[in-house]
This record gives sequence, C-alpha cells and structure tokens, in this order.
Amino acid sequence: MAKISYDYTPVELAASEPYPQGITMYRPLIRATITASNGNSLPWLVMPDSGADACLLPVSLASLLKLDVLRLPKDLTGGVGSSANVTYYDTVTLNLGSGLEFKAYAGFTAGMDNVGFGLLGQNGFFDKYNVEFLHRQKRFTIEATRE
Amino acid sequence: MATAIVDLFDLLEGIPAGAWVAISERQHSVLAYGADAQTVLSEAQSKGEDQPLIVRVPEQASSMFF
Repeated sequence: MAKISYDYTPVELAASEPYPQGITMYRPLIRATITASNGNSLPWLVMPDSGADACLLPVSLASLLKLDVLRLPKDLTGGVGSSANVTYYDTVTLNLGSGLEFKAYAGFTAGMDNVGFGLLGQNGFFDKYNVEFLHRQKRFTIEATRE
Repeated sequence: MATAIVDLFDLLEGIPAGAWVAISERQHSVLAYGADAQTVLSEAQSKGEDQPLIVRVPEQASSMFF
C-alpha cells in the first residue's frame, strides 16, 4: 500500500525557565490546500493530531474563504487552557498533495487563531487514513489508500 | 517526498510575533505581513499572487499542547 512521506518541521523555541538553552521541537506540519463548501480555497498549514476529536481550523481562515460563520452550525469546544470556544462547522476539502484529498466536517474557532495552523483530528482524517509517526527518523507517513 | 516546510519558515525571520504572513511559494518570498489576515491576503493578491500561503508568526515561540 502506497504511503506518502512527510518530514517533520523543526521549530526553534526561545530560551525559557524549563529550557534555559532553548529547544528544538519537531512538528508534523503539512502544507494543504483547503477548499470551503462555497468553492473558495487557500493553501494552509495543518498538523495531524490524534488527540483532537475533529479537524479544527482558525476562524480567520473562514473569513479569508468568505464563509459567513453566522450561518454555519456551531457548538462549544474546549482544549488545554481554554473552554467554551465557539466553533463553526463547514464541510471542507483538504488536499495534502500527492493525490491525497478528502472531505472533512471541520470546525473553525478563534482558539486556533493564536496557533495559526489547523489540526487534522479523528473525525474526518484519522477515521479515513492510517498515519505512522516515526519521530526518531523525523518523518511521518500517511497511507494513500483509505481504510 | 513532499516539500519540507522548514524552507518556508526561514522566511519568517525578523517578522514581528503575532503577525499574519502571506508567502509566495513560487517566488519563495514574503509578499505581505501585518496584524490583520484579510489585509495581508488582499495585499498579496494585489501583487499578483492569488493563492499565497498564509501563516502566523507565534506570539511566543513556546511549547504547544492541544
């Protein structure tokens, strides 16, 4: 079964009390093209996160895609350090390159604006594809064929 | 093998924390940056790049937990 391989992205973190010398973290970022239900699309960075219940994107992206969030279904979501985040949902198409394209019912929330990138979560992504994290090799793979 | 994003991150050096940034992947350059994502996208599009990659410089380069 064909697997698409991606490199982890090294991110240098500033010196802090727990990391006086700073530290390099490696994040499994992917450059995706995200197309909203209205047909508008933009490239955006996303990161697989098996701890996320669903795919989650910054609400700023919804505005850039000209989605009227006030007309979208919404609920309240939570994460580390935050709760009751208003989250608006749209069915988006995510193209991760190399022919890997899928639809997901994704949330848009202001809670992701500080992060800037999106999360590929269980509903919409991990329920479709097997993902293998090879952190020691600093790469990860996604099976190109859906389960 | 897909393109490494680290090459794009190199472009963010010197851009203020918290800024939204429009990157031309074809030209491998920063087209615009600022506090408002819509303004940044519009400026990039006015420069002829219809589909810039929009990223955000973190407010703090710190560990993340979701």
